[in-house]
Amino acid sequence: MKHLQPINQKAGKIEHYLEHDVVALSGQPRGYTVPQQPDSPHIPMGCSLVFSPGWEVDRSGGTAGLCQPVERDLFDCHLGCFWPAHVPDQLNHSPDWTSKCAAAQKDWRSLDIIFP
Amino acid sequence: MTTKPREPRIPVAYMLVIGSLIFFAAALLSPRDSIAVSPQSSSQDEEGSDVGIAVEHAATVSNCVSCHAMDDAGRMTRISYERKTPEGWQQTIRRMVLLNDVELEPDVARDIVRYLADEHGLAPEEARPGFFEAERRVIDYDYEDDDTEVLCIQCHSMGRVITQRRTKEEWELLVAMHRGYYPLVDTQGNPGFRRRGPPSSDGDGPSDSRHPMEKAIDHLAATYPLETDEWTAWSANRRAPRLGGRWGIAGHSAFSGPMYGFVDVTPVEGSEGEFTTEATLTNVRSGEATTRTGSANVYTGFQWRGRSTDPGEGDSMREVMFIERDWRRMSGRWFTGAYDEIGLDVTLYRADGPLITGVYPVALRTGAEMEELTIYGINLPTDVQPADIDFGPRVVVTEIIDAGADAIRLRASVATDAAIGKRDLFVGAAARPEALVVFDTVDAVRVTPQAGMARVGGVVAPKQFAQFEAIGVSNGPDGEPGTDDDLDLGALDVTWSLEEYSATFDDDDIDFVGELGADGLFTPALDGPNPGRSGNRNNVGDVWAVATYESEELGRPLRGRALLIVTVPLYLNMRGWEPGR
Repeated sequence: MKHLQPINQKAGKIEHYLEHDVVALSGQPRGYTVPQQPDSPHIPMGCSLVFSPGWEVDRSGGTAGLCQPVERDLFDCHLGCFWPAHVPDQLNHSPDWTSKCAAAQKDWRSLDIIFP
Repeated sequence: MTTKPREPRIPVAYMLVIGSLIFFAAALLSPRDSIAVSPQSSSQDEEGSDVGIAVEHAATVSNCVSCHAMDDAGRMTRISYERKTPEGWQQTIRRMVLLNDVELEPDVARDIVRYLADEHGLAPEEARPGFFEAERRVIDYDYEDDDTEVLCIQCHSMGRVITQRRTKEEWELLVAMHRGYYPLVDTQGNPGFRRRGPPSSDGDGPSDSRHPMEKAIDHLAATYPLETDEWTAWSANRRAPRLGGRWGIAGHSAFSGPMYGFVDVTPVEGSEGEFTTEATLTNVRSGEATTRTGSANVYTGFQWRGRSTDPGEGDSMREVMFIERDWRRMSGRWFTGAYDEIGLDVTLYRADGPLITGVYPVALRTGAEMEELTIYGINLPTDVQPADIDFGPRVVVTEIIDAGADAIRLRASVATDAAIGKRDLFVGAAARPEALVVFDTVDAVRVTPQAGMARVGGVVAPKQFAQFEAIGVSNGPDGEPGTDDDLDLGALDVTWSLEEYSATFDDDDIDFVGELGADGLFTPALDGPNPGRSGNRNNVGDVWAVATYESEELGRPLRGRALLIVTVPLYLNMRGWEPGR
C-alpha cells in the first residue's frame, strides 16, 4: 500500500485498519490462519460453531457475530428450544423459567440458572 | 431423590400437537422418515436375534419395569440394548426423574447407576477415546465422520455420543427422542436432522437421498454397536480392582504448576470397588504441602469417580481417573470451578518400592553449575550418594543437600558440550523416563492453552476463569522451530498483558472483557447488558493473552500469545449429582 495514497476518508480508514491486523479483512470465515493459531477455529467442549450465530462463538470462531446482548434474544431461545443445551427449554425442562422475568433485557437479574 | 410436585404444564398440549403434526407430516412426506418410535418395540422380537443384556438387579427391575417391560430372558426394553458410562446412565436416570415423574431415593439411584455402569458399561478400549467427556476437559476434538459430527456438536460435545453403544433400533430411538423433546431440531441448524431440499449429488454417482439424521444413525449403528469383541472380553474379565495401598502422584495444573506427593487408598470394608483416600500434595513452586481426604467408587472395573476435599481450605474437587489394566497406574483429571475449568492433570503410580514421580525444575541449561534441583518420589533411599543418581552423560550430581524418602534435594552441573534432549533418571532401583530436559537456549514462549475460554459472570451466572501458562520452548537438536524434537522447558516467569484481537473495525473488546493478572489468571467482567458499551453489548470479546519473557541470552524480549474468547454464560447447567459422590 505504500505506493498508494488514500484520497478520501474511506480509503484512509481502510489503510488504518490494514495496519492494525483486522482479522475480518485478512481471511475467510473458517479455516483462517493467524500467527500461532491452528488453521481452524477452536471448538471447545460444549461450543457450537455451526449455527450462525452460535452460542459461545460465531462461525468465525469469535464473539463478534453473537446475538448481543444475549439477554435480548434469550426468551426466543427458551421458547423455541433453540439452544437446548445452553438455555432451559420451555417445552419440557423449565416451562416456568420466564415467570419472574417479563423482559430479560430489563429484568435479567431475576433469571435463574437451571440445574436440572 | 424425590420429584417436586409438578404444576400443570400448559405447553404439554402444545408439544403434543406440534409433535403429532411433525410425525404425521414426516410420515406423509417420505417413507424413509418412518423411524420406529414405538416405545415398547424391542430388538428381541427380531427373528433369530438374541442381542440384549439381561437385567439382574432388583432395584433396577422394580423401579423401571412399570414402563420398561421385561421379556422371558430378563431383557428390559431400552435398558437391555444400551451401554454407557456412569455419567451416561446418570443422565438417563435424571431425565426419567425430571420428565417422567420417576421417584428415587438418592441411594437407590446410585445403586442403579452402579449396576448399569458395571453390567451395561463400556470396555476400557471403548471408553478411552471419549474419556475427555467425563474428565470435563476442554479440547479440540475432530470426529472421523463429518455428517455425524456436525449433527451432534451443534448442541453438545461429541464425547457424549462416542461413549455410548446401542443397537441400531436404539440409535433410531435416541434420534426420535431428540425430535420429540426438541421439535425444532428437524429444521434448525445447518444441517437440521432433516434435509431441507433435494439431495445433493456428488458428481456422476447416484445422489444420497438419506436425511442427515439417517446418515448419522447408519454411521452410529455401524461404529458403536451394542455387541463388540471388546465388551465381551472385558465382561468376562472384569472384577472389582484391588487398589489399596500407597500411590505416588504427579500432577500439573496451570493454576498451581507441578504438584507431587502421594495418595493412600483404603478399601471400604465389605464393599466392592469403594475406597477412601488421603492425599498429600506439595506445590513445588511454593513448597507448600496440602492434604486432601476423599472417597471414590470404581465403575466397570476401571473408571475411578471420586471427590476429595482439603479440610483446611474446604475446596472440593471431583476426581475422574482411568485405571490401567495392570492396576499399577491411573491417570485423569481432578477438577472444580463453576464450569469445571479449574483442573489438575494427575497420574498415580503404585508405590510398592522406590518410585520417582518427577523433578523440579524440569530443565537444566548446558553449562549450568551447581544448579539446585529436587527429585520427588516415594520410598526414595535416604542414604543416597551423588553417584547413585544418574541423569545420563555429562550431567553430574555434585552434592546431595538433603535426602528424604519423598524428596531428594541436590545440586547438579551440566557440561557446556552436553547433548541437548530428554534424559531418563535413575535413582538406585527407581527410574523415571524423560524426567529432565537438557537445553541450550529458550528459543520461544508458548502460551497454553493456545485457545482459552472464559465466561462473563458474577451477577446471575458464575464466572468462568481462564488460566494461562507460559512454557519455554527450545528448538531441540535440529535447531528448527516447530519440529517434533522441540523441547518443553516448563513454565517461565513472564509478564502478562492483554492485546486486542481485532475481529471488527474499531474493536474495543479489551476495554470490557476483564483483567489478566500477573499470574496469568484471567478474571472475566460481569454478566448482563453493559449500558456503557455500544448496543448494550455484554462484556464479551476476543483478545490475545500475551506473555513477554525477558531473554538475557538474546538481549530482547520473547513473546508468545494465545487467543482468549470471553463469552456468554450457560443458563442451563446439566451437572448436579455425580457418580462417586
